This record gives sequence, structure tokens and C-alpha cells, in this order.
Amino acid sequence: MNAFEIAALALVTGFVPLLWVGLREREIDGVVALELAGAVTALILVCLAEGYHRGIYMGVAVVCAAVSWISGLVFARFLGRL
Amino acid sequence: MRNVVVDVLLAAGVTAELLCCVGVAVMRTAFDRLHYSAAGTTVGPFCILAALLLREGFGQVGLSGIAVVALLFLTGPLVVHATARAARR
Repeated sequence: MNAFEIAALALVTGFVPLLWVGLREREIDGVVALELAGAVTALILVCLAEGYHRGIYMGVAVVCAAVSWISGLVFARFLGRL
Repeated sequence: MRNVVVDVLLAAGVTAELLCCVGVAVMRTAFDRLHYSAAGTTVGPFCILAALLLREGFGQVGLSGIAVVALLFLTGPLVVHATARAARR
């Protein structure tokens, strides 16, 4: 394993506390955890693309970063109306 | 020498992201958690981007990495602001 693969593996462990917040705390706290999980996912995809030497996979990370932004806005808007 | 710098930057970025994840879990209110969520789109991504650019340069991979980090950095505050407004209600 190279350094970027190890970094991706280490970043995956960051999902554990975020999942705990999403399951145990209020809805708005879950949205906060979801926003950070989107950023972490985009960084994991960057590290995997570099670790596997597949430049074309970076497109997945770009799309993930854009989609996580949209999902955060949608959830915040939805919870704001409740 | 360059590999060492890449490894150090990667370790710093991953550590920053993991600290933000732990901070989100440890804090009590949504507003306190938002501080760590916002930091997760600034500190860690830039360290990882610096490591990526040191290794790959400004080629296709480097420019895609810049796009990812720019998206996270520019859109992060917008989402944090929207979430804070939703939490205030």
C-alpha cells in the first residue's frame, strides 16, 4: 500500500463518530455530520484515485464534492421548514 | 526528500479531518458542531491537495484535485450558513 491508500483507509475511520452522531443525536446534528461526511468522502476518492494511479477517477471526487454541497443545502432547507 | 514532505502533508491532512470528525461527535450543540464541520472543508483538504500537487504537479490529476478542494472550500461556508439558519428555528 502506498501513502495515499493508507490515507484513504485512515479517513474511512472518520465515518464512525459521524455515524454515531447521525444515529444518536437530533436531526439537525445529523445534517452537520452528513455535511462533514460528504467532504471526507470526496477526500477519500481523491486519495484512492491518486493511490491507484487512475486520474480518470478524480472526476468521481469532483462530482461527489458538488453533490454533497447540494445535499447539504437541501437537507438544511428541509429542516428549516419543519 | 519530496516523498517525506508528501507523507507529512498527507498525515497532517488526515489528522485534521479525523480531529474534525471527533469534534463533531464530542460537541454538544449543533452550532458548536458546525465549527468542526466548517474546519473539515478547509484545513484537511488543503494539506491533502498540497501533497497531491507535490507528487503530480499541475497536470490533469492536479487540476482535478484543485477543483475538488475549491468546491469544498467555496461551498462549505454556504452550507454551514444554511444549516445554522435551520438550527436557529
